[in-house]
Order: sequence, then structure tokens, then C-alpha cells
Amino acid sequence: MRIVGLAAFLGISVLSLFGPTAPARAEADCKALVAPSPFGPEDQTGATNRVTPAVTKAAAAEIQTGVVTPMAYPLADGVPLFGTRFSKTVLTSFATMPGAEFGKNKLSYMEDTYLSQSHVGTHIDGIGHIGVQDCYYNQTPMGKYITQNNLKRLGIENIKTFATRGVVIDAVKVFQAAGKLKANAACKRPCLDGGTMITEADLQAGLKMYNVTLKEGDAVFINTGWGDLFEQFPAQNAAYNGGEPGITDSAAKWLASQKVVVVGSDSWAVEVIPGEDKDIAFPVHKTLITDNGIHIIENVRTQLIADAAAASKRATFFLSMTVPKAVGLTGTFVNIEAIQ
Amino acid sequence: MAGRPGLRRRLFLGGLLACGIRPARAEGRRFRIALANLDETPGVTLEGLGFTGAEVRRSFELAARTLPVDMLYFDNAGDPARAIANAEAAIAAKIDLLIEYNTDREANAEIARRLAAASIPGLALVHPLPGAPLYGPDNRAAGGIAGRALGAFAVETWPGEQVIGVLIGDLADPGPAISERVKGITDGLHESLPSLKLALLDTGGQPVRADALVAKFLQTERGQHVLIATLDDLAAVYAKNAIEMNRRQSDCIIVSQGLDRNIHGSASEKKEIDPNNRGSVVLGSVAYYMDRYGYEVLPLALRLLAGEKLPPRAVTQHILVTAANVFREYPPFDMN
Repeated sequence: MRIVGLAAFLGISVLSLFGPTAPARAEADCKALVAPSPFGPEDQTGATNRVTPAVTKAAAAEIQTGVVTPMAYPLADGVPLFGTRFSKTVLTSFATMPGAEFGKNKLSYMEDTYLSQSHVGTHIDGIGHIGVQDCYYNQTPMGKYITQNNLKRLGIENIKTFATRGVVIDAVKVFQAAGKLKANAACKRPCLDGGTMITEADLQAGLKMYNVTLKEGDAVFINTGWGDLFEQFPAQNAAYNGGEPGITDSAAKWLASQKVVVVGSDSWAVEVIPGEDKDIAFPVHKTLITDNGIHIIENVRTQLIADAAAASKRATFFLSMTVPKAVGLTGTFVNIEAIQ
Repeated sequence: MAGRPGLRRRLFLGGLLACGIRPARAEGRRFRIALANLDETPGVTLEGLGFTGAEVRRSFELAARTLPVDMLYFDNAGDPARAIANAEAAIAAKIDLLIEYNTDREANAEIARRLAAASIPGLALVHPLPGAPLYGPDNRAAGGIAGRALGAFAVETWPGEQVIGVLIGDLADPGPAISERVKGITDGLHESLPSLKLALLDTGGQPVRADALVAKFLQTERGQHVLIATLDDLAAVYAKNAIEMNRRQSDCIIVSQGLDRNIHGSASEKKEIDPNNRGSVVLGSVAYYMDRYGYEVLPLALRLLAGEKLPPRAVTQHILVTAANVFREYPPFDMN
């Protein structure tokens, strides 16, 4: 009785909480809340529409030495996660015991099962990940397109390809050069401190450092040094999750105006946390994903490619990353490599 | 005195404002503002609530990111002599304005004298600084919000049934803030429940004692519903534990003061007030936003530096934060 009374007092109902067809969701005006897609009203792909054959062919020219630089962290027990999030594997089938082998050739095998949330480790945010109320990319009223298991629109199976040019922007070097680096004592290497805002001017300074001009279809990765805390897992997990340096909303808007396809960083949200406006939650996610269909990749291992760029004076590379056709997912962990 | 460049500039800006002209120079330049914080000693909480000096300071660091200010920080460490020394150091650092957060009245009077002598404006945080505008909580109003919420809950949920009120916290604290909150809570409760009896349980500044105090109270007071007002969030958490251990969830409700991280949670922490925890006996907490002071105070400081005359007192806009609005007030960032 008390719980019923409490619900009534708060003015809520079970329907308003969980029902996808509840009035509050159905009434949201998606045309007012979300920008239309530049790729047409039926588009579910988003920015990877920009990765045309011409873009891929041009990106292939970035492969000059054949050196491959890893850009993903190993997905292992103990990496930073929030709250009750988890990523576990279970070895579910094996036939190594004597007598369990197959055939006279005694073939044995092993298989495993992932018990994992999709947004863990180095992972991509799909365009079905972020919305405003029930309005998602391309003014999609997602309340109509969700089931208990997955999305019926905007799932990651709609992504085309990331066979494009990658660009690394070393924000650490930008801030060092400008004499405004405020480091975090827990970082073993130079890093920007949590809450440090990376503006479009900083991004432009980072591009200028290596004489790079962004092109339509580029994949942009920002090295903040914050990934140093990820690499110290689990010792610095709380510090890693407690905030982060990242881009501002205006920087995200500038990147969107450059028609990039993805923005990644060595942090868990790419954007500055705490944000510029204490009352606004994740504005960069909304700008990039919801309004522009631009993917975000989090927990990217950017330090190695930033070091490679510093050594070779070349901050561009061919991006090697594929996304499984997992139908209806909002994101997935990925492997990324930079090929130069 | 009129020969000081800082004062000349402020008089000039004030004159422009008096003529209805917004000073363009104030838009383009950066100001040096000092915060002399009450106490940043680890573990020390402020104003009878769960907020720390580090949180107050951090709010200024974050708010300053988007404003034309260069901040200097001093820790008064709860020491009046140190507060005066910090003010002197800030003046020597040629600041444009001092934000003073210090409880000691005599020290504040001395600081005000030294600021005036240096023609540097001051802005008082929570405790008055003579001649300076004051920003701080409205303890009476905050208490009233809690009292009215508890009363409304009882009227809605337990109409016509036996109800008793309980007030838990550091009731012996001699500061005016606690007595104002208690008065506000009491008045708020009596608005809808004029004959409600109130039991007072004093934690003596040890919120953990709320557990034993509430447990004992519940064991002796059976057969009536209990409206619990706690003076801080940690006491609410301990009171809730006592209620659950005594299996009295069905006839107890708590409203707290503060809305600090003990109760709204943050990344990777347990969130007591949470949309997914709407059945909690902790109905809500009245927000004091001390971890956001910087966002409120620095704009006031800039208005003062632009020559604007501020009202003598500006107060926090307290609201009751429940499971229904906590994510709007404190958007959690544990998402990736």
C-alpha cells in the first residue's frame, strides 16, 4: 500500500515508466527535437553513407609503410566499467577430457559464450544509442521500434563501412604547446585532466601541427592521454570513470560540419565530463549521434598512433575496423587498427 | 584612493551603468577572482550537510572554464587567523574580487576592512562579510520544503491514521543554520498536520548514530506511521537502514536535507534516490547545491565587477528532489 501511495504521490504510473506507447513518449515532437538526416527521411545508416568507393580508394593511399598500429584495448576482466556493467566470458563447450574426443583422430574443441554488455571496452556507439526523449537519429520515434530484445530501426547492421582515412589529433601536444596542460597526478604519462575542455580551436591547432585538413568521410581520433588511466586498470578505474577531458559541444558541431563519420577518443565518453553546462547531459553525444548520425568510439587506444604520428610527422592512416552485422544492437565492442 | 587604477575602472564602469550603458571593456577582459574556501581538510563536511570544501572548490573550477576569470584558491582551513592571512595574500596578488567563505564574524569584519582599504570588492559565501553581497542557502525555506513534503505524503497515503514526526540530526549544533532548518521543517509539517507531535533524536554530529536512534524509536513507538525529517543525507541513509532492519518500510517515510552524493549517487555509486528505486522509504532530499556554488556565485561576481549593484542577499533555489526528478537535477554520467 505504501508503495502504491508513493507512486501516486510522485505522480507516476507503471505505464509511464515502461510502456513504449505511453503518452509522454508518443507526444514527443521528433521534428522539433532532432535534426533531419542529410541522407533522406528513410536513412538508417548515418554518416557512413559518406564512405564512398572514392573515399575508400583515396584512404588506401595512406598505406605507405604497411605498419599496423593497434588502437583497441584488450577486453579483459577489471577494465573500467560503471556500476553493475559487466563483460564476462564462459568456456561453455570443451572436449579435452579423455574419452570425450571426436573420432579416431581424437579431435577436441572448445567454444565460449559472451555474457557482456555491448558498450564495454573499446566500443562503437551506434546511431540507435542516444536520443532525446523517444526521438532518435533522423527524427525516428524509437518508442515504436523497440522490443525487449533489440531495435527494429537504427541497429548497427545498417552501418556501411569504415574503410576510410583516419586522423589522430594529439590534444596533449596541443595543450603542451599552448602551455595550458593541467595534468592529472594519477597519469603516468602526460594527460589532460578531467573536466578539461577541448575546443574547436584546439582541434584545429592539432590538425595544423601535422598539416592535416579534414575531408568528408574522415574518422577523427583525439588523444587526451586519459587512456593512461584505463591502462592502469583496475587501480585507476575510479579516477578514469570520475570524469574526463573531452571535446565541447561547439567542437562537436564543428566536427559535424566537416562531415566526418566517426569521432573517437581515449576516454569513456569522448566529451568533457563534467560538461560545460551542469544541467545538460551528454550534449556531444546528442550533437554527433542523434543530430548528425556520426558514430562515437570510446576507450580508444590513441596513444600508440599519437606516438607514431609524432615520430613520422604523419597523423593520417587507413582505418581498419569492421562492425559485426549484429541486428538491432545499439553498439558493440570493436577492434581498430591504423595502417600507415 | 581615487588614484588606484582598479577603483577608477570600477567607478567608470558604474558610471556607464548608471547611464544605461553596458561597459564593453568588461566583456572583453579577464578578471582575477580569489575564492577563500571555508575548509578543504579531507573528511570535513560543511554546514551540517554532506558537502566538502573540495566539492565547493571544484564547482568554482568547473564554472570558471567558460567564464572570463582566472581563479586563485585559498583554504581557510576553518581557522580565522588563516582566513585573514589568506585575504591579505589575495589582496597582495592584486585580485579584482574576493569570494570569502568563512564562519568567524570578527575575522570577516577584519577581512572586510582590509578589502575596503585595498578598494577590492568582496562577495560573501554563506556567512556575512560586512558590506558585501551574500550568497547562501535559505535554511528556513529548505526546511519548509521537507516539512510540507512529509505532511503531504501523510495526508495522501495515511489519511486519518495515527502519524508521528521524527527529527534527526545534529540538533545541538549552535549555528543558526540548523535551528532555521528545524524551524522550517516544523512549520512545514504543521501546515497540513497542525497537531502532529515531533520527537527529536540528536545524533550529536555523528550521522551513524541515526541507525541506533531510529531503531530504538521504532521498537518503542509501534502502531503509528512515522514521518522522518533528517538534517543531513547520511543520517537519512542510516535511518533507512534502521527502518529496513526493523521491517517498518510500510509505515515510515524519510525526507532529508542536502542532496549530497551520499544520496543522489554519482558514477559507479549506489543511488539511493533513483528512478529505478521509487519504492525507497527515502522519498527525497531538499537540494542545497553546494557542489554547484561556483555556477551561481561567479556570475554574481562578474555582475559586481561590471558595476552592477547586487541585492544584499541572494539565496539558493532549493527544491525537493525525488526519484521523479533526480536525473534532471543531477544527470548521472555513468553511461558509456
